[in-house]
Amino acid sequence: MIETDITVVNRAGVHTRPAAMIVKLAAQFKSDIYLTGDNQLRINAKSIIGVMTLAAAQGTILHLTVSGEDETAAVDKLSELFASGFGEHL
Amino acid sequence: MSIEKIQIITKENISVQQLFEAPLKFTSMNGETGWNNLIVDGNIHRPQLALAGFTELFTSQRVQMLGNTEMYYLKSLDLEARMTAFINIADRNVPCLILTNNHELQPELLNIANEHNISVLQTPFETTKAIHMVSEYLDDQFAQQGVIHGSFVDVYGVGVLFVGRSGIGKSEIALDLVERGHRLVADDVVMLTKKRDTVLMGTGTSLVKHFMEIRGLGIIDVRQMFGIRAIRFQKRLEILVELEDWDPTKEYDRTGLDESPRSVMGVEVSAVKLPIFPGKNITVISEVIALNYLLRTYGYNAPKEFANKLREEIERRAKNTSSAVDQRIVSYFQSDQE
Repeated sequence: MIETDITVVNRAGVHTRPAAMIVKLAAQFKSDIYLTGDNQLRINAKSIIGVMTLAAAQGTILHLTVSGEDETAAVDKLSELFASGFGEHL
Repeated sequence: MSIEKIQIITKENISVQQLFEAPLKFTSMNGETGWNNLIVDGNIHRPQLALAGFTELFTSQRVQMLGNTEMYYLKSLDLEARMTAFINIADRNVPCLILTNNHELQPELLNIANEHNISVLQTPFETTKAIHMVSEYLDDQFAQQGVIHGSFVDVYGVGVLFVGRSGIGKSEIALDLVERGHRLVADDVVMLTKKRDTVLMGTGTSLVKHFMEIRGLGIIDVRQMFGIRAIRFQKRLEILVELEDWDPTKEYDRTGLDESPRSVMGVEVSAVKLPIFPGKNITVISEVIALNYLLRTYGYNAPKEFANKLREEIERRAKNTSSAVDQRIVSYFQSDQE
């Protein structure tokens, strides 16, 4: 199991479009992927409703927990996606 | 998400303002004084002995409730003694005072409360009732809460929670059940609250409410689409349905004689493991699961009844050696050709 913190860097935060990107990416991995937001909710990163529940604004630090056979790749790809700001204004 | 991995959240404290905003008919006697004080204890205390001067075991961190006894005691004292008695409790970091029966605090005592930054709330309820209501509210606030990935539906009045891997079709089953007249409580993010160690209450989050994602369609709003009769805000969790991919090497329950409750956040909940394969109508099976649960609750256990009948039949055959035993329910079809 890998745990790491990732920061929301884009100005608009995790709104619908980024949430969809996260879910699409997470669904490609077999591992269990969870995100914990500042409201303490730990949600399944493969559920779009769940990811939107985080309502993560710019600067929010999310805690990523991944466990499974492809956990390293999942953490790398998801960290990359967050760091890129989902291709939006930073 | 597996049931063992539920993350549990417990509140450490709530502010006096939150308590004030609870639906308990509070009015504040000193504005917003002390609204940021934190309540860290779910119990309530009546500070009778502390007012009388015995403060050694005074649980001052609790909400202090002043009813007839306390108020008439204070009234019976002269001004100076009254202020001394009140300082006994005000001096010890009390978060808030609740006056029941709409009692009012004398101006000199209210000043002391203001000086010590203690919120003074008034309620029209009498003390016993107020204690009951406030402690129920605090119990709920300090209760364990858990978040689980699943779909929660009221099926014939039974709270059924579907869990299983992402993409197995939980939301689709919930939607199908809603179509058949059942009521959606929450989809995807279900919040469970433990009540009195034996009951789990489920609800959705305030943001998501009754939105739902259907693969390939996107996000839909069940309340807008199916109307108010298709939803509800809370339901007790009664049955856990664990959906899993059909595994031919695995043994599934065939008789239903072994009830295997699962522990969810330390509360025993009836559980069913349901293998999924194409052509299997999970919605109808879910309705049957709920009906069967109701039958059991009302004292009829189908597997047990059947087992009893079988036992009686075996005993009867053991005694009765005559060979011609009719296997049909109806032993003789007169001339009825229907």
